[in-house]
Amino acid sequence: MQQTSRRRALYATLLLMGALWIFLSADKTGASTNGRIPAPQEGFLAPDFSLTTMSGETYSLSALRGNVVVVNLWASWCLPCRAEMPAIQRVYEKYKDAGLVVLAVNSTSQDNTASVDAFITELGLTFPVVMDYDGKVANLYRLSALPTTFFIGRDGVIRKVTPGGPMSEASLQATIQALLAEEAR
Amino acid sequence: MFPILHIGPLAVQMPGLFLLVGIWVGLTLAGKRAVAYGFKSDSLDNLAITALVAFILGGRIIFVLTNLAIFRNKPLDIFSLNLDLFHPTGGVLAGLLAGFAYGRSKALPLWPMLDALTPFFATMMVALGLSHFASGAAFGRETSMPWGIDWNGAVRHPSQVYESAAALFILGLVLGRKTTAPEGVVFLEFTAWSAGARLFLEAFRGDSTLVFGSLRLDQVIAWIVLASALLVLEMRRNSKPVEVSEHG
Repeated sequence: MQQTSRRRALYATLLLMGALWIFLSADKTGASTNGRIPAPQEGFLAPDFSLTTMSGETYSLSALRGNVVVVNLWASWCLPCRAEMPAIQRVYEKYKDAGLVVLAVNSTSQDNTASVDAFITELGLTFPVVMDYDGKVANLYRLSALPTTFFIGRDGVIRKVTPGGPMSEASLQATIQALLAEEAR
Repeated sequence: MFPILHIGPLAVQMPGLFLLVGIWVGLTLAGKRAVAYGFKSDSLDNLAITALVAFILGGRIIFVLTNLAIFRNKPLDIFSLNLDLFHPTGGVLAGLLAGFAYGRSKALPLWPMLDALTPFFATMMVALGLSHFASGAAFGRETSMPWGIDWNGAVRHPSQVYESAAALFILGLVLGRKTTAPEGVVFLEFTAWSAGARLFLEAFRGDSTLVFGSLRLDQVIAWIVLASALLVLEMRRNSKPVEVSEHG
């Protein structure tokens, strides 16, 4: 009997301390590090970069703020990259007027421009394909598998990372629709 | 933090691998415990497989139903191998329902079954911690402690290490528990310990969802789970131990 009441007292103390801990560890600054520090990971600000297309147009990620941006890292010899490009193209055509930007970053440090050119023509890609000649974006985004796709919200925060592929059109659409529906923060 | 392991031409997705290994180890451990409780080992395997299949199918079906417009144009994508076409809550609910229905249909007693499955749950918590460590998810908040790790532009608490260590400790407790405990106690103690660990360790995370301005949502949920587990534990403490070699 005495043991029971002692145990109940312990439980009550635990719960009280737990409640106290919740308040002590409450984050007064308003969440987490979310969106303030650049890192190639969900919940972080997408690290900024500037790259040019083969025809010399420059694209900087930070200048695209306000749009939903899909950054797809790829190479022309990579079969899953080739397999998912048509789906990306179709989804791009469907949502570009709603504020979708696709930035296909060719991992040029492990590719060659002739193949890239042929690839773009063959698949009829209309979104910008920018060239990562020295692999700096591959490094910045800790690229460890081709393709890897980063979905970035209107606020510039990475909302989803898909390493590997091919992604299905349904998967692309579901993610992009949800991001387009959000207001810019 | 090491999401992909390259072995020759193979790119192995580590977070998923940890979870798969967890399912395998967990079911093995639970199988042994089930036999000690007098269950036939295949009744537990069947229950787990039924729940797992329902989890996978349920998650996909509910995702499709909530995104019908997308699949209307591309119906074949319903069978896509993309794992992200998945509704997690729907999957968990479907898995739980199927597991429960299977147990009912085989007249498996609820509390002893939960006790027998507890090593599986406890192993999955360890696997989850390791998979967070591999993917870099569930990361910590900034710290000046000497054991902080440099990750995503700041020195942070190695929250995934805390999480995995706590889960490993709890798994040890679960495995060390004698099978003579009253029915349900092993499961409820595991639930209470896990909720307590989450309540404490969530404070070191840098990615919490906040409610009511600044409270961490997961801590509030963990507190409620802890309180419920302790309450039910208190109610069940005097129930009889699991009777061996009785149930199918």
